[in-house]
Amino acid sequence: MEVGRTVPGGPAGETLGAAGPADERIEPLACGRDAADVWDHAVEGTLDAHERDCPHCRAAAADALGLDGVVHRMAAERPVPPPSVLDGVMQAVIDTVTAELRPQDLLALDSPAGPARLSRAAAARVLRHVVDGMDGMRARSCRIEPVGSGSGRTGTNGAAGDGAATNGGGADPFGVTVAITVTARFGVDLASVTARVRQMVVAAGEQALGVPVRSVDIAVVDLWDEP
Amino acid sequence: MTPPVRLTVGDAVVARIAAATAREVPGVVALRPDLAQTLLGLAGSLLGDRSAGDALSAAGASAAVQDGRAEIALTLVTTLGHNARDLSAAVQRAVAARVRAETGLDAVVRVTVADVLLDVPQAERESKQSPQVPPPGSR
Amino acid sequence: MRTRGAREDVCPPPRVPAVPREPEPTPAERELDDTTLVVRAREGDVRAFSALAQRHQAALYRLALRLVGNAADAEDALQESLLDAWRRLDRFRGDSAFTTWAYRIVTNRCLDLLRRRRATVSVEQVAEVAPERLAAPEAGAPEHAAEVDAGLAALRAALRTLPDEQRACFVLRELEGLGYAEIAEITGASETAVRGRIHRARRGLAEVMRSWR
Repeated sequence: MEVGRTVPGGPAGETLGAAGPADERIEPLACGRDAADVWDHAVEGTLDAHERDCPHCRAAAADALGLDGVVHRMAAERPVPPPSVLDGVMQAVIDTVTAELRPQDLLALDSPAGPARLSRAAAARVLRHVVDGMDGMRARSCRIEPVGSGSGRTGTNGAAGDGAATNGGGADPFGVTVAITVTARFGVDLASVTARVRQMVVAAGEQALGVPVRSVDIAVVDLWDEP
Repeated sequence: MTPPVRLTVGDAVVARIAAATAREVPGVVALRPDLAQTLLGLAGSLLGDRSAGDALSAAGASAAVQDGRAEIALTLVTTLGHNARDLSAAVQRAVAARVRAETGLDAVVRVTVADVLLDVPQAERESKQSPQVPPPGSR
Repeated sequence: MRTRGAREDVCPPPRVPAVPREPEPTPAERELDDTTLVVRAREGDVRAFSALAQRHQAALYRLALRLVGNAADAEDALQESLLDAWRRLDRFRGDSAFTTWAYRIVTNRCLDLLRRRRATVSVEQVAEVAPERLAAPEAGAPEHAAEVDAGLAALRAALRTLPDEQRACFVLRELEGLGYAEIAEITGASETAVRGRIHRARRGLAEVMRSWR
């Protein structure tokens, strides 16, 4: 049998979760004041002359203040979830990510000893980490595309500074282009720092990943102040 | 060297050798099960299937043996400071060499680097066993 | 010829945990702003998502706890909500704050849970809990500390009697300190409706709490 709960101070047997106009309307006090306004004024300590004198307003204010104390005590409670919750979430996430790696999530690695691939997300995290390590720079988006994928940029925009950005199609099965967005601290010299980002990304691609980076697009999308 | 004994080597045996060998290559932090193994592990735990459980103990490696050749797939986690391409090649060489030595099979080793840790957790550093095989074919 | 397989049939090796405990985000990653972490997480960066979840899980848990009323259900709701958030991150447009979006996921989860729970809870089960929780303190309870706890216990019990939508609005406003516009976005109701629900919740609770003053 269903439980019909009643709402204290509300119409008896009001349906749970009901969201009709009756739920929205705020009955004015007998003196005509908006009851919610009086309530807010009471807890904020901004009651006006009428509200301080009017018996209806005073009753409403007394209710407000009576509840406010215990509500504050409850708001001050800071229960925290046990670590097992987040551990469980992250374990499930990592399992899913690994289990669902699709070909388009992987970059081909130029191993002489057999077929080898690298998670694109893992590679992006390494490149972001390199940028984060630079003074006044933070990486945001980092998209890595195989040059041979034919999608997006052609890899011939000459921005790489490595002199090898002329590969087309399947001739360069391991080369990638990197599009990265960064935020920078106010006052950093954007031109020189982005040139350095380019160098670092190309170097990290080769040294940490073994992935030849043919071009790097950098967009500065925001500036921040040191706290 | 080849004794007059007829030997059949099962997929799970090859997978287990591959997993054990890969774990010992410096720079390999862990292996991870792929989708097939995740499903297998799930089925094993639901059905109490012993063979599925065994396959899971080689998690991160799967193998298929056919016509004297082994196709091996490994999904691994490494850490910054080990070049992903070079590590993949080192794992491929080590696993192929070990599988050939233990089973006589030629192996194609497919490696997927699923993750690159930026810092290695202490527990994993400590739990890393001392290598029982000579270092993989050095370059 | 020796083979591993033959040996292992006799003596299987000890189980090695296949997947190590998931490594944490780096200290630098923990410092990043929500927007940066969201962009990274959306591109598949698991640690960026972990940093976001760590940062906001306590607030999301408080909301869940106060909506569903017990820790076990709140933990379940939080866990499912965070998994939902990960799965749906590519649909998060970034035109509202990540916290607003996450609050909405938790709120919906909890309201679903309450609806399902209500369909299965019998009168007897409710009756077991309610009178004890709602009982007035013994006359002349001397300790202030006891009074505080009892007041909080009474408020907790009273919160449970509110309609779900009212309770959600009240908790977000009075316990989490959010504005009407944000609560409207979280609950999918109009600002007018939110304001009305909060007021009704306040009045209902004040009535119950009158005996505590």
